[in-house]
Amino acid sequence: MEKKYKSAYYSHVVKIALILIIAGGLGVWARGLFLPDTMGQYGHYRGSDLEDQRNVELRNHTNESCYECHRPIRLIHKAGVHKTVSCEVCHGPYADHIKDDKYVAKMPVKRDMEIKALCLRCHNKIIRARPEESIKVVAMPQHLEEKKVDVGHNCNQCHMVHDPLLWVKAAYEMMGMEMKGDKK
Amino acid sequence: MKENIDIVDIKKEIQKDRRAFIKNVLSGTIAGSLLMVIPAGAALDQRLPEQLPGMRGDDSPFTEKKFAFIVDVTACIGCGSCCVADKNEYNVPDGNYRTWVERYIIDDHDEVFVDSPNGGLDGYTKARTDIPHAVRDTFFVPKLCNMCEKPSCVQVCPVGATYKTEDGFILIDKSRCVGCGYCIQACPYSVRFLNPVSRTAEKCTWCYHRVRKGLLPACVNVCPVHARKFGDLNDKNSEVYKILREPHVISVLKPGMGNQPALHYLGLRREVV
Repeated sequence: MEKKYKSAYYSHVVKIALILIIAGGLGVWARGLFLPDTMGQYGHYRGSDLEDQRNVELRNHTNESCYECHRPIRLIHKAGVHKTVSCEVCHGPYADHIKDDKYVAKMPVKRDMEIKALCLRCHNKIIRARPEESIKVVAMPQHLEEKKVDVGHNCNQCHMVHDPLLWVKAAYEMMGMEMKGDKK
Repeated sequence: MKENIDIVDIKKEIQKDRRAFIKNVLSGTIAGSLLMVIPAGAALDQRLPEQLPGMRGDDSPFTEKKFAFIVDVTACIGCGSCCVADKNEYNVPDGNYRTWVERYIIDDHDEVFVDSPNGGLDGYTKARTDIPHAVRDTFFVPKLCNMCEKPSCVQVCPVGATYKTEDGFILIDKSRCVGCGYCIQACPYSVRFLNPVSRTAEKCTWCYHRVRKGLLPACVNVCPVHARKFGDLNDKNSEVYKILREPHVISVLKPGMGNQPALHYLGLRREVV
């Protein structure tokens, strides 16, 4: 640029520079105001959320927690074929029963035909997608007919729900018979 | 006569140091009442069994572990225990599922039928009657968060609410989420939903809070047939390490999406999407 066209005044440049600096400063200040403290601590997220996620309430426990108090059931359940079945799936989560090691409410217990529905949830032969290695399935009421009992019978009249083969095995033993397919 | 002396003695004691006497009585009472409040024995966290070794007492923000989840399709009986446990653990609102079980039916003509009544929460009680041909194959496929190595949901979140931890968990910060739903659309596996109560995105976390306490995820813990397996790939003795290393039919869902899931399926059929 030729010298004669160049302005001798710089005030407009200074003004623009000042406005930009102030706007930038305000932006940084506002960002600090609105962003949580730990934002960006480990990445583009709130670092303290890791702690919050760890402190999510534990509602389901393990069977061991139930056995702490329910001793007789522990011996039966742990020894039987239902040992892998979780207490809390049928009875509800631990946290609804015990809070801070204090009893808060009674657990629901399934009664009568609810028990049959619960058994058939897993053991119903009509659902064909059940691998034999995983589970023993029965057809109803053919199973009752085959065992020569009344078709109105409920499952828990022969099978103890916490160890389904406990009474059956005992009955076989009493009769001095060998149970079919008893390998264990 | 002797009794008299005893009474006088006690009175003397009290007179001698009234302050100490009150102190003793008070501290005894407080200690007694405290014993009724604080339960006997160790804290609850310590009493729970350690299902994942080396997690207790690890307070660092990220663990040194590399977790993997394996679902054995050939073992699943579709009982829905996992769905029940999951709903209980998080009080998931009705109609939304953090994990669910699908039933696949393939008929003679290679037609595929999939259903999942109430996400498998009520179990499967009825056989399908609308299959036109003979059924060739039928099986259950449990679904949950794939915890991708390259998660598309994290990439699209405009507010930094969903993120991937260094140990591989993809989590959602409830206090940051604005519920825009971008992540719900971005997830190739449709595991995310908008919680109608909190109005934030929600999904399966592989039970991050349980894992950090040394417990298995709720669904793994309740599975009666051990169809769901969870463990550390850095631990050479873990079951998941052995399964992924030894010859098995292992696959992930939608490998073509390039998300590289950490959720693997054992014995998955090619019809499953």
